[in-house]
Amino acid sequence: MNDILKIRKDCKREMKLTWSKYELSKSFDEYITSKRTVRGHLKKIGNFLESLSENDLQELDSATKSAIKSLGINFRVYSDEGSEERSWPLDFIPRIIKKKEWNLVEKGLKQRTKALNLFIEDCYNNQNFLKEGLMDSSMILSSKYFLNFCKGLKLPNSSWAHISGSDLIKDEKGDFNVLEDNLRVPSGVSYMLENRYVMKRVFPDLFSHYGVSKIDEYPLKLYETLVQASFTKSKNPEIVLLTPGIYNSAYYEHSYLAQQMGIDLVEGIDLIVKNNVVYKKTIEGLQKVDVVYRRVDDDFLDPDVGNSKSVIGVKGLIKAWKNKNVAIVNAPGCGIADDKAVYTYVPDMIKYYLNEDPILPNIKTFILKNKEDRNYAFENFTNMVFKPVAESGGYGIVIGRNIKKDDRSIIKKNILKDPKNFVAQPLISLSTTPTFRKDSIFPRHLDLRPFILSGKETYVTVGGLTRVALKRGSTVVNSSQGGGSKDTWVVDA
Amino acid sequence: MLSRSAKHLYWLARYIERTENIARMIDVNLELILDFPDDHSLNWKPLIDTLDINDLFENKYKKYNENNVLNFLFEDSRNLSSLNNCLEMSKYNIETIKDDLPKSANIKLNELYDHVVGKKISKIHKRKKLHHLTQIVSMTQGFFGAINNNLSRGYEFEFIRLGRFIERTDMISRIIDCLCISKSEKQTHDFSTMEWLSMLTTLSAQDAFRKVSKGEADREEVISFLLKNDSFPRSVYRALLIIEECLKNLPKSKKLLLMNSKIIKKCERSRLDNYDDLKLHLFLENLEKDLSKVDLKIQSIYF
Repeated sequence: MNDILKIRKDCKREMKLTWSKYELSKSFDEYITSKRTVRGHLKKIGNFLESLSENDLQELDSATKSAIKSLGINFRVYSDEGSEERSWPLDFIPRIIKKKEWNLVEKGLKQRTKALNLFIEDCYNNQNFLKEGLMDSSMILSSKYFLNFCKGLKLPNSSWAHISGSDLIKDEKGDFNVLEDNLRVPSGVSYMLENRYVMKRVFPDLFSHYGVSKIDEYPLKLYETLVQASFTKSKNPEIVLLTPGIYNSAYYEHSYLAQQMGIDLVEGIDLIVKNNVVYKKTIEGLQKVDVVYRRVDDDFLDPDVGNSKSVIGVKGLIKAWKNKNVAIVNAPGCGIADDKAVYTYVPDMIKYYLNEDPILPNIKTFILKNKEDRNYAFENFTNMVFKPVAESGGYGIVIGRNIKKDDRSIIKKNILKDPKNFVAQPLISLSTTPTFRKDSIFPRHLDLRPFILSGKETYVTVGGLTRVALKRGSTVVNSSQGGGSKDTWVVDA
Repeated sequence: MLSRSAKHLYWLARYIERTENIARMIDVNLELILDFPDDHSLNWKPLIDTLDINDLFENKYKKYNENNVLNFLFEDSRNLSSLNNCLEMSKYNIETIKDDLPKSANIKLNELYDHVVGKKISKIHKRKKLHHLTQIVSMTQGFFGAINNNLSRGYEFEFIRLGRFIERTDMISRIIDCLCISKSEKQTHDFSTMEWLSMLTTLSAQDAFRKVSKGEADREEVISFLLKNDSFPRSVYRALLIIEECLKNLPKSKKLLLMNSKIIKKCERSRLDNYDDLKLHLFLENLEKDLSKVDLKIQSIYF
């Protein structure tokens, strides 16, 4: 505690923060109880923060910002006026989760991801789940993500979504719920790793007072997962990371991961398919590629089967994959399970495929195609969030209570045009955590995206990427829409 | 190593080296004019001649005067070798490979880019022009310094070195040519020892030259130093030896090594004391052609 005491002595006394003035709301605050006391396992950091003056807070904030700038951690945002690179937004107050609580979440995520992978393989093979009438099969068979060419294919370890990211939120009681599963090309893991790297530089003294679990094994685990995805038996298969290029919003991450794993970062033009075998063009000639970790969407992977105008894909890639000459990670066709309507059935999948009870609860979801669900959702319009089933990145979401009375009928009409494309969920008040804004600390809503790797075994990152909505009362955490992030600490407590 | 990365590294180095050498050429000419303020016969045409871009120039400008030539060499977008274009191309080439290079190299290139691009040379005061050029040269050297000090030796390093020294050999040849044309076209003055030496200074070669040749210096000595000295890294011969070293460290380079050693031999065999200006010019032109063949071969083998 000596370091902390020292900092406390050094800091200026005026304008000190006190938790008694912290604006609590109906939401669950992860630091402060409704009686305005610091939660037991957060006493140390809570007291430390309370000891800081406005100056100290600003210093920590600018130290964080300058570390991010000098490390060049950025992301690209697109708008109507083009795109720009922005510095990655990190709030220096960590989000802290007890190890005991985390262990259960980890178990729940492993269970969920296993079931989802089995479900995907089933959909492209026997379709038992659908045949038994456990869900309306048209939801899968008419989905734009259902790819006919995947039919009949079985993959090593039944892994289709080798890398996935599930979004978790804490409800009013402080319990974790799954909000959605991202199975196509989830991004953000590099920022999780970089957040920790920056925090160690900015907050070294705090780390020594908490047993914070390490997270830096992720690139190694990812590499192992990619090796296990390979169809070849070689222990050192040739692996590449396929990026759409420097203008992709996640290019920073592509480059970071390729570097961490020591694999080539390739673009479509660097690969060529001959006799259903994929090669990369090197200065020594063509070299066979065994695994493509692609960060390109299904539709753009191969102009032969998807978008014929795609210039970021590789002609013939899918055929090479179907011939099992190359592994594609994540496998094409995963998107069928990455859908907000299919999400509703994940607890049933867990029961069906694993014969287990789901550990992590889903958010109650109303399928608007069903008349009963729809009527209920429309009657309770202001308490609902309406979501298009197949979008990601927070796009197209309508929060009922933000819509003026006169405009509600327009939204309803829009949904009625094609109700199978929408779901509704009750508006959940996301938990909050103290977050630095301008000159003091305020509660801000957050979610959590852990990343799950599916190979021979299933691996879950320790914690994940915490995203935080920076505007007061807002629940929009997406960085493309002004959200920020926090380092996530899983601690022994 | 990916072919695309090799290509970007090679061209990145070529464009930055070209930036440096064009800045040096302009510098030579500006200094010459200062030395002969009354001699109106000295002009700016040889610069355009040596870069072989007369048609392009005459498309837009009538007179080969200082203003036009400097505009053309600094900022004209149609001139692919204008400093502006060289740096735009450097930026383009570094974009997808910058994570393979030391961060400091990227920072240096950004500084150089900001120093040159978007500035109008005609707006820079006469007094500051030479300084502006010296800055460009020193920034390009800062870039390669960052590479030399921080990049592991391997294929990445070799492709940068290869691009740099192929470009350099070509440009030294052009600079020598430029000097001799300036000299021979107008016989109104004779270059004295001092003038030859000041030219060497502009090529950062005076100290090295003085170590091998003391006292009076004449055309043969200076040109032979710039062409045939085997230890000064801004001589054609030395640059060719470095190219040989790069090629030895790269795969599939047998044919290239053969081509390069032929050029080295030509250089060794040349009898500069017997060459008049025309013969020298032809020799240099031939050298440039040989180099461009090596360049094409590099592209067809590796990229």
